Amino acid sequence: MKVDLLVVEDLWKFYGKEVILKNVNFNVEKGETKVIIGPSGAGKSTLLRCINLLVRPDRGRIVLDGDVITERRDVHNIRSQIGFVFQHFNLFNHLTAIDNVLLGLIKVKRLSREDAMRKAKEALLSVGIAEDLWRKYPAQLSGGQQQRVAIARAIAMDPKIILFDEPTSALDPELIWEVLNVMEKLSRNGMTMIVVTHELGFAIKVAHEVMFMDGGTIIEKGLPEQILLNPRSERVRRFMERMWYLYSMDRKFWRSENAK
Amino acid sequence: MLNNILYILFNYGSALEVGLRHTIIITVTSYFTGLVVGLLIAVLRVYGGRWIRGVLGILVEIIRGTPMMVQLFFVYYALPEIGLLLNPVAASIIAIAINSAVYQSEYIRASISAIPYSQFESALSIGLTKSRAVLTIILPQAIRVATPALVNEAVYLFKYSSIAYFVTAPELMYIGKFIGSRTFLYVEMYIVLAAIYVATSIVLTELAKVIERRYVIPGLLKSKA
Repeated sequence: MKVDLLVVEDLWKFYGKEVILKNVNFNVEKGETKVIIGPSGAGKSTLLRCINLLVRPDRGRIVLDGDVITERRDVHNIRSQIGFVFQHFNLFNHLTAIDNVLLGLIKVKRLSREDAMRKAKEALLSVGIAEDLWRKYPAQLSGGQQQRVAIARAIAMDPKIILFDEPTSALDPELIWEVLNVMEKLSRNGMTMIVVTHELGFAIKVAHEVMFMDGGTIIEKGLPEQILLNPRSERVRRFMERMWYLYSMDRKFWRSENAK
Repeated sequence: MLNNILYILFNYGSALEVGLRHTIIITVTSYFTGLVVGLLIAVLRVYGGRWIRGVLGILVEIIRGTPMMVQLFFVYYALPEIGLLLNPVAASIIAIAINSAVYQSEYIRASISAIPYSQFESALSIGLTKSRAVLTIILPQAIRVATPALVNEAVYLFKYSSIAYFVTAPELMYIGKFIGSRTFLYVEMYIVLAAIYVATSIVLTELAKVIERRYVIPGLLKSKA
C-alpha cells in the first residue's frame, strides 16, 4: 500500500506584499524521490525551507508522517527528522568532517559517544568518504567531498525525508557526478527525497515524479519523461527547450541535422 | 642615569611590585568581566527581541559616548551619594569593566555578523535549538574572528588601567608618581614605568599570537601572525 509521508496543502508565503508561494499542493509517498525544477525565483528554495520550517509559511498545512508540523511549536524536534542538504554545503567550518556528522547525533539525538561514532563512520563510508578525510576541516576538502559529508550529516540522523536544495549547482562536472551518484544510491535504497535540481539526467533516471514550479506555484507535475520531453503547459515547454539546448540533447540543435 | 634607575629598582622594587600587582588585578578582572558581559550584550543585541536590542543599543551608545574618566569618577565619587562606597581598586575595576564590556561587545557583535547566516541555518536544520546553534556553531567561529581585536583590547586595558591613578588606586602609575616625588628622579622613574608597560604589552601580544595559532581553523583563515 502506498503511504503519503509528506502532505503539503494550500501553502502560501509572502515577503511583504510579494507572493513567494501560492497555493502549493502535493504529496510525497514513502520511498519516493520527487524532483522540482523551474526558473530562479520560482520559490523552489523557499518551498523546501518551509517544509523544514526554516521559513514559516503564512498559510497552509504541512503533514509529516501524520504529524501536522505547521502547528507544532517545538520546531527543532521536527527539523531533526528532516534532512537538509544546501547548495553551498554549509558544513560547520570550525569542525572536522566527522565532528560535523557527530554534532547532531550527540547534541540532538543524545547518543553516547561510541554509538554516535559508529553511526557517523557508517554514514561517511556510505557516501564514499574514507577514513583519511575524517579529520580534515571543510576548507581542506573539495566541493564534492564537502557535499558528500553534508549528505552524511543528514543521513546519520535517520531522517524521514531529505530535502536537497540544488545540491550540485556549486560544483564542477566531475564532482557533480560523485554527488549525484551518492544521491541515486540513497534513492534506490528507499530514502524519501525532494530534490531541487537542474540535473535533467538525474531527474530522468532517478525521479519518480517531476514537478515544475514557476511564479510560486506548481505549474505541472508528472512522470519525468512526460515533463521533460512532452510537457502539456506552454511555459514548461519553453523552459525545457532551453534546457535541452544547453545539454545539446535534442537532435534539432545538432549542426549536421541543421545542415540538411 | 643608569645608577639612578638601579637605585629605584633596588630601593623601591617591592613598591613597584605592589603597583604592578594592582595593575594586573585591575586589568585582568575588568578585562574578563568585560569579556563575559560583552559576549552577553553582543549575543542579545544580535538575537534578542526588539526591546532588548533597543535598550542595549542605547546603553552602548551612552557608555561609548562618555570618557572613561567620567565613568570612573561617577563610580568613585557619585555612587557614594546613594550609599555605595567603594575602595579605589574596586571602583576602578567596575568602571573599566563596564567600559570594556561595551567595546568588547562591539567587537564580538561585528564578528558574529561576519559569520554567514547559512551556518546558523544549517545548525537549525539538523535540529539544534536557536540558543544551542549560537553556542556551538556561531560563537566558536565568531570568537576566532574577534580574537585580534579582543587581544588589542587587553593590551589597551593594561595601559589605560593607569587611569585608576586618579582615584588613588595604588597601581603602577600611582606608585611611580609617588616614587618620583619621593626621590625627585622623575625621568628615571618614568623610564622604568614605560619599560614595564612595554614589556608587558609585548608579552601579551606574543601570548595572543600563540592562542590565535592554536585555534586557527585549518585551511579557512590563513592568517600568518
